[in-house]
Order: sequence, then C-alpha cells, then structure tokens
Amino acid sequence: MMLAKMLYFFKGAWRNICQCPLLCLAAVGTVAVSLMMVAFFGVIFFNFAQLTSHWGQQVQLKIFLEKAPDDTLLAEWRRKIEACPEVESVNLVSSAEALERFRKRLGKKADLLEGLGADLLPASLEIGLKAPYRNRSGVAAVAETLRQHKEFSDIRHGGEWLNRFDSLVSLLKLAAVILGGFLLFATIFMIANTIKLTLYARRDELEIMTLVGGTSLFIKMPYIIEGAIQGLLGGLLAVGGAYLIFRTFLHDNLVTLLMTMGVGEVMFLPSGFQWGLVSAGMLLGVLGSLPPLRKFVRMRA
Amino acid sequence: MIRICNLAKYYETGAPALTNINLNVSKGEFVYITGPSGAGKSTLLRLLFCGTSPTRGQILVNGRNITRMSASQIPYLRRQLGVVFQDFKLIQTRTLMENVAFPLEVQGIRRQEVAKRVFRALQMVKLEKYLKKYPLEISGGEQQRVAIARALVTDPLVLLADEPTGNLDDQTTLEIMELFKSANARGTTVIMATHNLELIRRHPRRVVVLKGGKIVEDHDTPLSMTASAGQVERSLDS
Repeated sequence: MMLAKMLYFFKGAWRNICQCPLLCLAAVGTVAVSLMMVAFFGVIFFNFAQLTSHWGQQVQLKIFLEKAPDDTLLAEWRRKIEACPEVESVNLVSSAEALERFRKRLGKKADLLEGLGADLLPASLEIGLKAPYRNRSGVAAVAETLRQHKEFSDIRHGGEWLNRFDSLVSLLKLAAVILGGFLLFATIFMIANTIKLTLYARRDELEIMTLVGGTSLFIKMPYIIEGAIQGLLGGLLAVGGAYLIFRTFLHDNLVTLLMTMGVGEVMFLPSGFQWGLVSAGMLLGVLGSLPPLRKFVRMRA
Repeated sequence: MIRICNLAKYYETGAPALTNINLNVSKGEFVYITGPSGAGKSTLLRLLFCGTSPTRGQILVNGRNITRMSASQIPYLRRQLGVVFQDFKLIQTRTLMENVAFPLEVQGIRRQEVAKRVFRALQMVKLEKYLKKYPLEISGGEQQRVAIARALVTDPLVLLADEPTGNLDDQTTLEIMELFKSANARGTTVIMATHNLELIRRHPRRVVVLKGGKIVEDHDTPLSMTASAGQVERSLDS
C-alpha cells in the first residue's frame, strides 16, 4: 500500500514535469547556474587551500649544528626531538647538502662559490611540524621545548615570515567564509524563488485538489518530489558543467598561476564536495518548495 | 442532513456577509439558495464545505459539527460532499479522466476500481468518449458536465453547486439540471445557489431566499411552479 502510494507520488511528480517542461527547465537551470557558482568558488577555494598547505609545509624549525653528529648521536637527538607531539619529521642536512642547495639558489651566480670548502655552511636539523601546528604558536612551542636541551643552542624559525603567513591564511579563511556565506545565501534565495514561481503558476491546480478532498500531504508530495528531482538534476548539471568549463578554460591558467607559486598540480572539487553539491541541490529543491506549498495548499481561506 | 444554527460570517473589514442564518436540510432534499448578487449565497456554500470559517454559529453535516473541525479533518468531510462551481474548477493540465479520478485517488481506491467508476461517471454525463481530452479541448457546457461527474463519482451525501449554470446557455442549463435531478433522485441531497429565477420556475423545488446576508423567505415545501418563482420574485423586488 505504502509502495503503491510512493509510486503514485513519483508518477505525479513525473507527470508535473512532463506537463510543464518549461517551468521545470527554469527551475533546473536556476539550480544548475547557482550551484555552478558555488562549484567555481569551491575550485578556487580548494586550490588556494592546497597552496597554503604547500606553503605551510615550509613552516619548519632549523637547528644549526657546530659539527655533524655521528649516527648514534643523531639517533639520540632524533628521539629527543620526536618526543615533541607537534613534530612530524626530523631531517639532517649536511654541510655539503647545504652548500649544494645554496648553489642551486644562486643559479647563474653559483660560480661565486668556486674554490670554497665543502664545510662552508654548517650542518643543520630540519624539523617539520604536523599540519595543525604549522603556525607561529606551534613553532614557538617546539622551539621552547627544544631550548631546554643544551645541545640545541642555535634554533631558527623565521618569526617575521610566519607572522605574514598567519595573517594571509586568516585573511583567506575570512574571505572564504564571507564569500561562501554570501554565495550560499544568494543560491538559496534564487532557488527558493524560482520554485516558488513554478508553484505560483499552479496555485489554481493546488486549490482544486484541496476542494475535492485531497489531504495536505497527498497534494504536496508529488510537488516536493518534483522539487527534489529538479534539485538533483540541477546539482548534477552544475557539477558536470563546472568540470567541463574547468577542463576547457580554467585548468591550464590555474596550472600556470599555481606553478609560479610552487604548487605543481591543480585539483577539481574533491568527490565529497561534488556529492555535497548534488545533495544540496536536492535539499534546496525540497526546502524551496515547502513555503509556497504551505501558502497555496490551505484548507480554509 | 444539514443543520445550521445562528450562523454569522463577517468580513475582515467588519461588514456582515451572513447574519443569523438558521436552516435545516433533510436527507434527499433539493434546495435552491437564491437572492441578488452579494446576498451571501456563495459564502453560505463556502461555509458548508469549510472553505471559510464562520464568525459564530454552528453547522452540522450528517451529525458532525464542521465549524469545530481541524484543518486535517476537512479533506475527509469534503470526500462526503460533491462541489460544483460556476467556473468549473477543472485542472487544465490533466485529462478529463484524470480530473474525475482525482477524488477517488485521494481516497486510496485501487486503480482498476478507479478506472471503472470514472468511466461510469463520464458515461452518466455522456462524455465517456472524451476520456483522454483536456478541459480546454471541450466546450464550457461539457466542462461543467465533467465537473459534475467529478463531484458525483464518489457518491457524495450532499452535492453543493454554486451558480453551476451561470456561464451556460439554456439548452446546456437544461442538461445540467437533469443531471442534478437524477443525482437527487438517487438519494443525494442537492443544495444549489442560483439567481436564475427562470430555472427555479422550470424546476420547482424548495427555495431559500437570501437578501443582505439574511434569510428573508424559505418556501419549505415545493410550491407550484408559478407560485414559487412569483413569490421569490416579489421578495427580491421588495
């Protein structure tokens, strides 16, 4: 009985779509365009997040050493350093390695280093931090702990650069919240209004159904399902369309932009976000249809 | 079947639409509600199918006080009533068959049974060959016959008709009246609002005259053709 009723509601929804294809197309189009804007915002947001995460990996401490330790001593220092919960990795950079990096940085002027000894630069320990601690306070906490050991006297962690990095990340997060919130609000508003208009065009039909004995739920269900289908189709179109535009126009430009900033790969939306967009479309389709249905399906005037 | 006690309905502006209405309609009766425009005929019918709430008073339909009915109970009352409007109120995007089937579908009646009863109802109004047509593909008179088929397909206790012949020519009006009379002969109580005195003259039944929201005449027993219409005319003129 329940299954037969659900089947009836789905048939009703399908019939509504077939009988008013233009109204349906308008609703699907609005959902698609609105969610596509959210999708593009997502593409930009996730790639910037990737960029800041890449920059974040460079947030590290350096302990300069007077001379390179032997294997036993290095193992002991590693144990001491890795005892800090914030630490992710410890990497020894020998004097020769440091000189090689310096040479690469100098590029064409590397010949300035000709004739200098391999032990020009001191050996160091590079300490990488776990993602949540890649900020000013995380670095300061680790430095404070390590200073308690006499052997780590020369600890460096670029405080000025970290301040700027923290400010930039905070700014990006704030911009994401403001822009994302505004976009979400505009999307909900547009979708709700389009669905409201499609139901407004059918208000007589809804009134007649109440007059011949339809219960509120019986009348509303096909229209709610119709809203969900429109939202689902709009969501799928938004993700598909956004991907197509991303591959055709955005991908190469973003690759160039991000490569100059040190990130080699550009990503589309994570699959969780894609499913989230499609589900959001469906949810908005349902939620958008509820207020006008409540308004037009009234038993008493 | 219907008992109305001290019924009053005021508009939001405070103007009275109906005041102090008392009326009893027995099972199987055929009653005309007549009066000039603005007399309150349509408001009275709207109150009977819970389309609006009274300001005060009681309405009992088949022993149930419908003025105290919650919104969720109203559909179940409407399934016992058939309602016909002057503007037909058919769903334009649905075929005649779908329009007539809707009151049965809301009751959860099985598909085969629905198909059978819809066909019978459309046969009764002589439109069974138009099953798949849409309302705009047929004439006004035919649309009203479909509306009557929809109202009668559930075998309602009461048939309420608000100016059902207001937009129709004489020949179609006659056909519609025959449909109401045959439903009434099968035991359905019929209450019909009309200002067409010629119609009342031709098909004499009990006549309730409304004027300024009040009942000014109630010819409780069917009078002779001329007496009924004549008296009504006089009371409307006075």
